[in-house]
Amino acid sequence: MEKDFAQLNYYEMLDIKPDATALEIRGAYNAALQMYHPDSLVSYSFFSQKERKKILALLEMAYFTLIHEKERDIYDNELIRTGIFSADEKTPAIKKSVNIFDINRQKDASGILKFGMAELKAKISQNQRIREILSRQEISGADLKEIRNELDVAIEKIHQETKISLNNLNWIEDDKTEKLPAAVFLKGFIKAYLKCLCLYPVDDISNKYMSTLTRVEKK
Amino acid sequence: MVHIWPIGGGKGGTGKSFLVSSLGLLLARSGKKTLLIDLDLGAANLHTMVDVPYPEKCFSDFVSKKISVLEDAVLETPFPNLFLISGAHDNLDIANLPYDKKNKTIMSIAKLKYEYILLDLGAGSAFNTLDFFLASRNGIFITTPEPTSIENVYRFMRAIYLRRIRHYFSTAEFKALEKKVSEHSGDSSFNKPEHIISVVKKEHPEKYMLIKKDFNSFSFKLILNQLRKQDNVILGEQICKIIKKHLGVNVDFAGNIAYDEHVHDAICQQVCFLDRYPHTRAANDLRELNRKMSNSFGEQLMLNYL
Repeated sequence: MEKDFAQLNYYEMLDIKPDATALEIRGAYNAALQMYHPDSLVSYSFFSQKERKKILALLEMAYFTLIHEKERDIYDNELIRTGIFSADEKTPAIKKSVNIFDINRQKDASGILKFGMAELKAKISQNQRIREILSRQEISGADLKEIRNELDVAIEKIHQETKISLNNLNWIEDDKTEKLPAAVFLKGFIKAYLKCLCLYPVDDISNKYMSTLTRVEKK
Repeated sequence: MVHIWPIGGGKGGTGKSFLVSSLGLLLARSGKKTLLIDLDLGAANLHTMVDVPYPEKCFSDFVSKKISVLEDAVLETPFPNLFLISGAHDNLDIANLPYDKKNKTIMSIAKLKYEYILLDLGAGSAFNTLDFFLASRNGIFITTPEPTSIENVYRFMRAIYLRRIRHYFSTAEFKALEKKVSEHSGDSSFNKPEHIISVVKKEHPEKYMLIKKDFNSFSFKLILNQLRKQDNVILGEQICKIIKKHLGVNVDFAGNIAYDEHVHDAICQQVCFLDRYPHTRAANDLRELNRKMSNSFGEQLMLNYL
């Protein structure tokens, strides 16, 4: 009856106010993931697979735009220009305190932590596409991204588990070689990433990734 | 002013009859004259829950005109202030209640002189169930935290939604609408009333406004039953959030009821759970729920049938 999900603005998608802090945005995105994740009981059977994929993609886009200060400014200015919200809504007079620690915190019931190692491994061994990628000699960031999507693990989850910054994770997945950190750091990141997704043997795969990268750079 | 609370939820075994009998008893105890009607046509159980094992009259007598006014089919229960229209000896074909009989029933229910009338509906989403649910604006959905039950409650909500939209159109108009919807968003889209409503918005803006107003006047509630310790306690709120965001229907989350083995024991012993085990978690939840609900629905409650 209301607007279609795709027509909502990013703040509405994540159910936050225009003056939300980064922490609130992150919290809202995690809450949304809990609701829309394919394993979530809340939205079970509510969406078709296609609809769910679309919603998750939109949420991810909303999250990445808002969490990135510069992009958020651009987006906000666009919203102000089209009159969706006014300029003073954006700049609050006084920031309220934000709860950093949630005392009533529930155990995280979504994503990686929930379905744990065993289920991820089972998914990996059943998925033809993942095995095919892993058996290749060359593995790029885009391949890693594909595997992650096949496993339905949000990039935010990896960020939480590994504490690697979202920018770095995105650069790795998008193969932005010029922005990547020094090789010694990068190798550590890749290993953490692989462990997080239960992709073994970690050393083998990370070596393949590193050698692929150096070959690309030489060209 | 009569308050009618239909309780439904799509899936069987989620505790509809249990909830009706418990809430009914709590309302009766607080001095409200309360009537329970077993509209789980063809699978009636409510009489057992309120300790009327051998009801003399039943709903079927009214349908078959053996009893002329519905008021006469009312039975007393062992509990003061609590009354029952049983479905125990209903005819075996009662599940297929014809349209005119159904309308007559809904009209008669509204005329009954009670403060609270609780309707115990059956599983599934047959037209009869949907129409009884829509007889009041205060329908209560009940589900358990299991995928099967959640799937069914979503189906049930969508069926209610669609049924309500359907009331606004004649058969021919609706056929035309159906066709437009499938052109607009593919064949399977008809299972999603949210797609239909977006077409209605474009094609019949004046009807869209009416439907929107209509839905805003509803005050649905959701109850999550059989919540175990390890279950997600905010599940109910999240369900309501999804419904609001994607279906545009306001459903208030009324509360959780804890899973309790004692419920099973009480039913097997055929005694009232609240009396037999008054100090269990589930009994506390029920009392809390009753307190919240009788305050929140307010006074407005009108028969709501087109």
